[in-house]
Amino acid sequence: MPSVIRTEKLTKSYGSHRGIVEVDLEVQKGEVFGFLGPNGAGKTTTIRVLLDLIRPTSGKAYVFDIESSADPTAVHRRIGYLPGEFTLYDRLTGGQTLEYFGNLRGGVDRAYRARLIELFDLDPSRRFREYSKGNKQKVGLIAALQHRPELLILDEPTSGLDPLVQQTFFELLREAGAEGRTAFLSSHILSEVEKSCGRVAIIREGRIVQIGKVDALRDLAHHQVEMRFAGDPPAAEFANLPGVSDIAVEDHLLRLRVFGSITPVVQAAARAGIVDFLSREPSLEETFLAQYGRESVEVN
Amino acid sequence: MAASAGAPPVAALIPAISLRSRIYGFGSIYGKTLRDSRLAFIIAAGLLGGMALVMGAAIGQVFPTPASRLEIDKLIGSMPAAMVNLFGKPEKLGTLGGYMSWKYGALFALGTALWSILALSGTLAGEASKGSLDIVASAPFGKRRVALEKLAAHVTALGLAMAVLAAMTTISSNAFGDAAMGDQISPLSSIGFALWVGLIALCFGGLAFTLGPILGRSGSAGVAAAGMVLLWVASGLQSLGVLATFSPFHWTVNHVALAGEYDWPGLALVGLVAVLFLVIGVELFARRDLGVTAGLSMPGLPAPALGVHGSTSRAFGDQLPRALSWGIGMGIWGVLLASLVGTFAKQISQDSSLVGTFKTIFPSEDLTSAGGWLQLYAQLFLIAAGFAAATFVAKWASDETDGRLEMVLATPLARARWVITGAIAAILSVVVMTVLFAAGIAIGATAGGVSPGDAILGSAYLGLYAAAIVGIGVAVGGLWGTSIAAEIAAVVVLVTYLIDLLAPPLKLPDWFHQLALTAHLGQPMVGKWDATGIVACLAIAAVGILLGAVGIRRRDIA
Repeated sequence: MPSVIRTEKLTKSYGSHRGIVEVDLEVQKGEVFGFLGPNGAGKTTTIRVLLDLIRPTSGKAYVFDIESSADPTAVHRRIGYLPGEFTLYDRLTGGQTLEYFGNLRGGVDRAYRARLIELFDLDPSRRFREYSKGNKQKVGLIAALQHRPELLILDEPTSGLDPLVQQTFFELLREAGAEGRTAFLSSHILSEVEKSCGRVAIIREGRIVQIGKVDALRDLAHHQVEMRFAGDPPAAEFANLPGVSDIAVEDHLLRLRVFGSITPVVQAAARAGIVDFLSREPSLEETFLAQYGRESVEVN
Repeated sequence: MAASAGAPPVAALIPAISLRSRIYGFGSIYGKTLRDSRLAFIIAAGLLGGMALVMGAAIGQVFPTPASRLEIDKLIGSMPAAMVNLFGKPEKLGTLGGYMSWKYGALFALGTALWSILALSGTLAGEASKGSLDIVASAPFGKRRVALEKLAAHVTALGLAMAVLAAMTTISSNAFGDAAMGDQISPLSSIGFALWVGLIALCFGGLAFTLGPILGRSGSAGVAAAGMVLLWVASGLQSLGVLATFSPFHWTVNHVALAGEYDWPGLALVGLVAVLFLVIGVELFARRDLGVTAGLSMPGLPAPALGVHGSTSRAFGDQLPRALSWGIGMGIWGVLLASLVGTFAKQISQDSSLVGTFKTIFPSEDLTSAGGWLQLYAQLFLIAAGFAAATFVAKWASDETDGRLEMVLATPLARARWVITGAIAAILSVVVMTVLFAAGIAIGATAGGVSPGDAILGSAYLGLYAAAIVGIGVAVGGLWGTSIAAEIAAVVVLVTYLIDLLAPPLKLPDWFHQLALTAHLGQPMVGKWDATGIVACLAIAAVGILLGAVGIRRRDIA
């Protein structure tokens, strides 16, 4: 299958500041690809290099097998892009803004645009500056989608959208995938990527730390458990349970980390006669740190 | 699984604000506002102090003898009051202080007031529209204190700038003046002058501050600036009926401190009105909803003029309101001046002795024509046109600085094409402004009963100069970054003006004077064009746009 996006040891530095370091990615045609990472990890920098908005310090980026800095216009002709942060023309209405971007690209199916406006429940007669954050995001999304691009590059696309509109967006994403179009979307929300993407890449501190099927993410998920006992915590009873690690005892408290199913821990806790039981799913950032520590990890 | 919040954490003790934080301006709203205005303060104090210094030097060079002082006194005495009073009250014109006060006093006051208007209209309203004020106002103290701290910061900066102006005025008179001709300016006179400048500024800045919570930043600044110009003209020309009596310029008309004449009660009235405006502004800010403004109901542009067809039309649609504002403003200025100079030119041409007097002082000007008089104002027109061009550059640059460019360039629009279409739109805006100015000149001259003659076509020199400034701004924006493009363009305008103004009286080398583009423009208002200047302007515009287009292909988009 031909690759739509390909990067080779892509590096971007901002003076002494780290941007991205030797990023290698490959996205196939028809994929919905997630690009996950905490804030400041390098997601937007990677996207901006792909679009030739910034130039790489070293390495290469190819979109549709075209080196992005060699012929950016040819790349832009075939994509739809939503930046992570953007502002548009205050005095234009939403409808006029969409018309303008449609005119810049050409080939926009007005009926499809009207359908998108309806699906996203956008009032196109209001001026851009009068829109709420969510409605501004809708304008950006429709501008990116309206010409049915071969490749969608969306930087944190659900930011500011309410759950219903998010659902509409994910349906449109599935529709694009079903039509054989490709989508590359960045996010820092694990569940969002989990339900919409086939494959994901995880970036941390500018480096890709894992690329794989989305199912692999579930292996990263873990629980942090805290149990209180009346007497001394029976730490030994938990040490050999599957998926348990990082056991710590403090007075009557027992803390541990559980990868995979939590059932054996709950059963063991019940047998040991606990006073209190707390479990929490850590944030993505904590998950990353737990999995990879602070050191860089080679690309899989 | 359920999660337990547990016991509420004990609030940590808030450490005292460190000295370093205070020095760097992170200790309070006052400190932060002062920090934010440091560049504006340096520019304002530098310009005011620098101008006081170089004007003292220039006046001493141009009028070094009692005979030359007598000549200028006679000349001004022979001019109609309407033309003289617009500058200020002519008192002791034979002294450095008197002449400086008459010729440039209003310029000091208007310029400083513009700074105050921009600062005080933006300090709350601008921050409210950006959304950052919500966070500031959610700090554990009232909105009144927020407003007062921000106000205090501007008053501090203004006070310091006025101290620099007063010091430089006295230093200038002692360094370059002739004591025998009464040129020395006492510290009291300098302080009196600086107080007048500062209070006039605070009065109009206070008006902007008062209107800010209601009209928003641009609305309040626009009304205050328009009010300032209107009241200055009303006072100077003694026209517009009762309006003149509301003018702070009118209340202080007898306060010519640099000539040793003081009107402290008049000055106190200006101060009182300024304080009143500021108090009302603080109260309005405290009582009204944050960031909810009524704005000014301006007629909107028709949809086709907004330009959604392509990148050039969109860029022009974005520039059009600005181009119309500059054009209408300059057009009104043109009407006013052309109607005055038209009348004056007519008077002079009827009196042969007056023609002779003016011929000796301005040998190269034909002051029997409206164009001849308008040529005398060429420098002011050029400054205005240059700054207009800098604002067009700023609008073009805002595509990138505001974050729109990323989406625009993600379409098949090439970077170079974005630069070229934006520059074309900026130059079309220059054309709109120039045509409106020329129309104003035509209307004013006709109303004054004289033929505008060459002045209509001559107005095109403003467009040529402004196009060159656009070229410089676009080149800077393309090569180095749009965030500095308008600022550099404005600095070029200012430096050009200062070189052209000061090089001849200070007897600086000719090559240095020739660096000013405006020195090559001839006298187009009377039909004398300089081909070198035309070619230079067009070449700078074209090469600048080309450099910008090439430059942006080589750099990262911000």
